[in-house]
Amino acid sequence: MTQPPKLARKIFEWFAGAAFVEDLLGDLDELYFIHVKTKSAFVAKWLYWKAVLSLIFSYALKKRKAKRAVSMYASSLSAGLLRNYFKVAVRSLYQHKYFTMLNAFGLAVGMSVSLLLLSLISYVQTYDNFHANRHNIYTITSERTEGVEQLSWALAPHVLTDKLKENPNVKDVVRINSYFRETVKLPQGLIPLNGYYVEPNFLDVFTYEVTQGNAKYTLSQPNQIIITETAAQKIFNATDVVGKTLNLTNGHLVEIGAVMKDRPINSHFKFELLASLSSLPQPQASVSDQWMYFDFQYLYVLLEQTASASDFQSYLDKISVETYAKLPVKVAFELQHLNDIALGPDLRMAIGPKWEASGMIVFAIICTMILLPACFNYTNISIARALKRAKEIGLRKTLGGVKYQIFFQFITETVVITFIAFIGALVMFYFMRTEFQKMLVASNSLDLSLTVRMAFYFLLFALGTGLVAGVFPALYFGGLNPIQALKNKAHKGSSAMRVRKVLTVFQFVLSFGFILSLVVFSKQYKYSLNFNFGFTKENIVNVELQGTQPQLVKNEFSKLASVQSMAMSSQVMGLGYYNTWIKDSEEDSTEVAHMYVDENYIPMFGLTLLAGTNFQEEAGLTEKFIIVNEEFVKEYKIPAPIDAIGKTYKVEGTELQVIGVVKNFHYAPLRYPIKKFFFRNNPKKFTYAHLKVNTTDAFAMFTDFENQWKKLSPEQKLDASFFEDDLNEGYSNYVVLLKMVGFLGLLAITISILGLLGMVVYTAETKAREVSIRKVFGASVLNLNYLLSKEYLKLMVWAVGIGAPVTAYLIYLVLPRMQYYSTTVSVWDVLISIVILLALGIVTVWSQTNKAALANPADTLRSE
Amino acid sequence: MKTYLGELEELVLLTIAALGEEAYGVSIQQDLEERCNRSISIGALHSTITRLEEKGFLKSWLGGATQERGGRSKRFYEITQAGKKAVVEAKSVRDELWSLSKIKLSVK
Repeated sequence: MTQPPKLARKIFEWFAGAAFVEDLLGDLDELYFIHVKTKSAFVAKWLYWKAVLSLIFSYALKKRKAKRAVSMYASSLSAGLLRNYFKVAVRSLYQHKYFTMLNAFGLAVGMSVSLLLLSLISYVQTYDNFHANRHNIYTITSERTEGVEQLSWALAPHVLTDKLKENPNVKDVVRINSYFRETVKLPQGLIPLNGYYVEPNFLDVFTYEVTQGNAKYTLSQPNQIIITETAAQKIFNATDVVGKTLNLTNGHLVEIGAVMKDRPINSHFKFELLASLSSLPQPQASVSDQWMYFDFQYLYVLLEQTASASDFQSYLDKISVETYAKLPVKVAFELQHLNDIALGPDLRMAIGPKWEASGMIVFAIICTMILLPACFNYTNISIARALKRAKEIGLRKTLGGVKYQIFFQFITETVVITFIAFIGALVMFYFMRTEFQKMLVASNSLDLSLTVRMAFYFLLFALGTGLVAGVFPALYFGGLNPIQALKNKAHKGSSAMRVRKVLTVFQFVLSFGFILSLVVFSKQYKYSLNFNFGFTKENIVNVELQGTQPQLVKNEFSKLASVQSMAMSSQVMGLGYYNTWIKDSEEDSTEVAHMYVDENYIPMFGLTLLAGTNFQEEAGLTEKFIIVNEEFVKEYKIPAPIDAIGKTYKVEGTELQVIGVVKNFHYAPLRYPIKKFFFRNNPKKFTYAHLKVNTTDAFAMFTDFENQWKKLSPEQKLDASFFEDDLNEGYSNYVVLLKMVGFLGLLAITISILGLLGMVVYTAETKAREVSIRKVFGASVLNLNYLLSKEYLKLMVWAVGIGAPVTAYLIYLVLPRMQYYSTTVSVWDVLISIVILLALGIVTVWSQTNKAALANPADTLRSE
Repeated sequence: MKTYLGELEELVLLTIAALGEEAYGVSIQQDLEERCNRSISIGALHSTITRLEEKGFLKSWLGGATQERGGRSKRFYEITQAGKKAVVEAKSVRDELWSLSKIKLSVK
């Protein structure tokens, strides 16, 4: 009796692989024997071949193969399996406590900064969500081109309103002018008030709760305002203030027509009061000027539910093209949804608190730079420790574990450790939160307490971090060959080694950058504090006049023994400056910084007159003279200071004559270069008294000052401080910066040190036998230390080699942008940073290698 | 979801039902050939069966190894409740169409 063709069967079996085909083979054989009974053996064999072919290409076999690609018992991830993964993960993490701690701590540090960013974003996303019409409110922003200067503004000209109303999709247009910055005169002192000028429809479009008074009527009447409850408390210590009037320092009287609840802080509007737009004088400028110059003007439109934003945008484009065709300034309008304002593109003159996208991106980059190294550490340490886990994986695979199950097991492990780290990060987040908020400019529009939205983001983030950190090791473990793994030959991956080295070098470059920035920025801070400003700053006390008569102040304070001399001025020099426009004899206007002083000012502050004379006492009520600085002379191309004397310039409509030239000094903060500047003499503008003092007991002196002050102005508090402190205060942003860089640097360095520690511990562990044998043969402790650490020392050298030039150059570029008069990066700074980094690295490495080198060889080798 | 039942699928289902306890690969193929004069390859048959199993119309079990199969077991098939429903539905659609047909359908 003939047999079915063996070759065909073999081919079929080979092709079927692991798939279950016993029944199919049986069917083939049975058919063969049926055929053999009626046909020749050859035909039967031929039919067998045909049947085999038909099966090979059949859907049935394809399906059976797919089914067998996973093991018979694990065609899916059952709950039981997941529980097992979790248990194995917890056990393995518990077993390697040291590494778990290293990993969890590193990840926690890395995640903590990102939590700040997430909480910030999560809060900013709630901005303006309390307006009932929020889905259909848009603002109009403008891109203004004048000559070569092209800038984006949050502003839009109010003359656009009528054109907007012509569009049938526009339900309402709200006009806002943000220029309400007045000061209220009160018995207890002066209180600044900021707000917006708006029309009654402001309250139709935006949702605010008015508690007293007729809001709509108020906003339609000139010189009437709606005040918020907090502002009312601030001024009157009460909230039922409707009908009261406020005395403004500009001479106007305004009446409070209504009181409203405080605006929620999560809004891009920020105001203490709303005044009626009709209080503002009608614009005097020509219509074309109104289209071109529109400071403080904002437009909001409420569109119909059905309106399409893109259609409206093209309508705006059309208006822009028609209107600006013949004007020298071009403005393109852009529609921006209410939700996009708070976290939108960078715009100038935003109406209230705003979180610029660029700042957010920088912050996000910093977060990533801190977080990624922490993830790298995990990846590094996990792969390095593959040897320890290889047997487990080999066994799992032999018993039917498939690639994706191993993958899933290790992902589970990573996610477990990430969540442990996440709890740590949350704790750090709680401690960092307040400090962080202090550093932000718009921090009073921010509330970082935990919300549901935030919790959701946090959890998602923790999961994502786990996936990022775990995906590479999990893939690696999943792909291990079980036979090699069981033979302990799994750990041969040279490419994985290289990746690890690159990652480590990257971390240390980053750490080096932070150390160098810290060194250079603290140098810059010291440099600014000790800078020679060109004037005396010692032993001078600044007293704010707060509306009292300069002459009276002078009389009272000069009675004190500690006061040697006294000068008056309009501002504190070196902190900020004001500009005005002047015209020369050819009627060319230029912007120049200026300041009002009296005749004692120049000698008292130690300024040097290069030519001409000082102001004279009793200059009279009308201004006549100015004293200019060297730069002024140079910019007007006057050959020598002496030639400038007697020239006249038109300042705010008055001809003023130059009577003196002073040597250049830093009237502005060091951030700005010295430009044209002049002193002028007008007692009406004095707001500060400067006292030259000589005392050993500053406390007693200030008590004297307070007593004198009480005679002058009993209701107000004395506002006096040392000039030097005021100046130093102006550079306190460096303290914030140093704090921030220091903190971030600490995080980055901690993470890289942790990573290094993990790697070294691992090396010391795996090379324990080698070290012991060498020791038995007489190697010294120093030799052994070098043997174990040389690989890492090499990496550190690499990091310094790459990091030093790159970061030094970056900081060199940044410094003058931060401050015009700045220090530079010196070789010493770089050297100090290198020493710090190497010291940290070497201490870390040797703390572990030394332990290994000192170990008793008998302990290690006993098991052999 | 209503699953579509192809013509061959319907035939295979009915054949399995007709064969009762003895429905496995070879017997189904032979029966189809004898009764319906349909000669299909074993690959095509098993593909159809696999599809029917996926649709949940068939269930199977192993057993009945014989000498002429080289001692290999057979895979027996049985029609499920859902399978029964599907064929009955297919039949009722046809019956309805028959009863509604306007022209006289008869073969002379």
